[in-house]
Amino acid sequence: MSPSASPVAPDAAHAARPISPRLVARGLTKHYGEGTALDALDLTIATGEVYCLLGANGAGKSTTINLFLKFVAPSAGVAEVCGIDVTRDPLGAKKHLAYIPETVMLYKQLTALENLEYFAGLAAAAPLSRDALVSHLREVGLRDQEIRQRVGGFSKGMRQKVGIAIAVARQADVLLLDEPTSGLDPKASNEFSALIGQLRDRGAAVLMATHDLFRAKESGTRVGIMKRGRLVAQMATADIGHADLEQLYLTHMHD
Amino acid sequence: MIAHIARKERTEMWRDGRFRVASVALLLLLMVALLTGLTASRSTAQDHESAQNAMRGFWVNQGAKNPHSAAHYGLWVFKPSLPLSFADHGVDAYTGVTTWLEAHKQNEFTRRPAMDRPNVARFGEWTAAAVLQLLVPLLIVMLAFPAFAGERDTGTLRQLAAIGVPVRTLMLGKAAGIASALAVVLIPATLLGVATLWLGANGGRGVDDLMRFAMLSVTYLLYFAVLLVLALVVSARSRNVRTALVLLLGFWTLNSLVAPRAVADLARQVYPTPSAVAFQAAMQKDIEQGLDGHNPADARRKAVEAQALREYRTVSLEALPVNFDAIAMQASEEYANTVFDHHFGALYDRYRAQNTLTQWAGLVSPLLAVRSLSMGLAGTDVEQHRHFAVQAELYRRGLIKWSNDYFRDNTRTGEWDWKAPPELWAKYPPFTYEAPLLGHALGAQRTAMLVLGVWLLLSLGLLVRAPALPVV
Repeated sequence: MSPSASPVAPDAAHAARPISPRLVARGLTKHYGEGTALDALDLTIATGEVYCLLGANGAGKSTTINLFLKFVAPSAGVAEVCGIDVTRDPLGAKKHLAYIPETVMLYKQLTALENLEYFAGLAAAAPLSRDALVSHLREVGLRDQEIRQRVGGFSKGMRQKVGIAIAVARQADVLLLDEPTSGLDPKASNEFSALIGQLRDRGAAVLMATHDLFRAKESGTRVGIMKRGRLVAQMATADIGHADLEQLYLTHMHD
Repeated sequence: MIAHIARKERTEMWRDGRFRVASVALLLLLMVALLTGLTASRSTAQDHESAQNAMRGFWVNQGAKNPHSAAHYGLWVFKPSLPLSFADHGVDAYTGVTTWLEAHKQNEFTRRPAMDRPNVARFGEWTAAAVLQLLVPLLIVMLAFPAFAGERDTGTLRQLAAIGVPVRTLMLGKAAGIASALAVVLIPATLLGVATLWLGANGGRGVDDLMRFAMLSVTYLLYFAVLLVLALVVSARSRNVRTALVLLLGFWTLNSLVAPRAVADLARQVYPTPSAVAFQAAMQKDIEQGLDGHNPADARRKAVEAQALREYRTVSLEALPVNFDAIAMQASEEYANTVFDHHFGALYDRYRAQNTLTQWAGLVSPLLAVRSLSMGLAGTDVEQHRHFAVQAELYRRGLIKWSNDYFRDNTRTGEWDWKAPPELWAKYPPFTYEAPLLGHALGAQRTAMLVLGVWLLLSLGLLVRAPALPVV
């Protein structure tokens, strides 16, 4: 992804800054009946950042991602993707997004290449070249015979790789990852993180919900800890050691 | 983008062996139905033609005979089947295709196979119509139920929603994909239908038959389109695949199996028709006592007698220059005809009311409207049966009047032993029948067409105003 492909910043003040915000949440809130899934979240993630959201199940990590995807409508506040209000123009915002769920789901009757062609072609203005698609799949580490194999028997690690290839082919500026490495073996998890790192280096902004403190420290640039819908702490990973991060996390989780 | 989605749907369906098996099986069943329909209708047509010719032979060669005896001798006529009847036998099995023309009576039709069969046989006739009305909709259900619900179950729908594919686009793409898969079955089926029509055609009405066939094809195609959209909308709104399948199979069962029976029973309840025995008894009573109950047969005979005497200015029947028995017979024939018109007219009007009700019921179960249109276009509905019945009856009346008039003019009263010359019978022309044209057939299908139109608009509306998909 070349920097020139990134959208024009919303105003001159932002444009003047070296890094431009890709994901912005302002007072983002979601109520479900009586309960509050997300409480006035303020968050800015810029290009080249990997922001890891930590927290127990039900802390509001997935709700945050679902709000950015407009899968659910916010009760209050604003979610912006590359300066586009998700509520006002969901389709416009989604052009910049790629979403990788816990397990990337694919059509088992189709080959990896055909799956990529389908997903990437859905929002593409022009038909994509087969060669480019094949090279994307090679980039994420699929072997040639796997590329032309139906995905019915694919492992989770291979599915996640196809998911990244889809994000690459769609030239997404922003990646939303919802526990993408849970259940992956350490090697696959490591490969996945390396791929995320490559995307970040090319200027993507990444928001990743995860339970994996080690992975968050390794591949994240910042971490935020959520509890009962609130962002209770955030820091740059460079400023904290792994043991300290774990200690901090446990402190927050302890009531 | 619609083509992009359609291509993926088609590839998936094609690689799924179930579709290949189902479509090949369906095509084979349709082929069998068309071929057996064709051979059956050909052999029936030949049987009927030779029987009717034989009847004409008996009539012409009945030898020297009293004209009234000849009128009693009578003859059978057969309803010729339209070339398209191979596709849909319609009500033929219930109404019969042949009737006995004789003096004094308008007989009901016989050769009703339905009378000799148990009720389950209602579904047993293996015509193209049965395949198109029962099995193709089942294939549509099978192809469409997982379209959205399946993707919701596996989670791919969530990913599509994340990419931002508009629901309408997805709906249109899937509809196009399934339609193009169905085309694998329907295009050969249509060509086969044309071939069968061409093979079965015995000339003359080519354009009308082709127009009927074209309209028949369009009717079924529109019906399939409606079903496809409904199935996709149900799939889109269902929580999971199982719900979608249960809902759609439930609809299929109600629409294809339950509604036709239930509505037929309902129509008979709302517009009851008399039993054959009661019907005959009522006509007999009206003939004996007069339609108004105050004009009995002997009084009518007295009036005819008085009028004959006045007309020929004589005082006794013996002095008449003509045969009064023949005059009296024709007079009672004509009185009976008004009774027949009254009763048969009322009966067919009841059938028409039943059919209109059935067509309206198509608003609930669209197959009812399609069945009606299908029969109408194949020429096997009640209205076209009525058309034939009326023509046959008019022929009978003409024949009886001709024989009575001949008897009247060539004999004197009481000459029952007199015999007409053997060459006389050939002078009355044989029965010929022109089946009504498409316009006449469609006249009886206005409600069905309206109902199908309503379903089309509804499904177009559902397609255009595609609902937002719940993905979370």
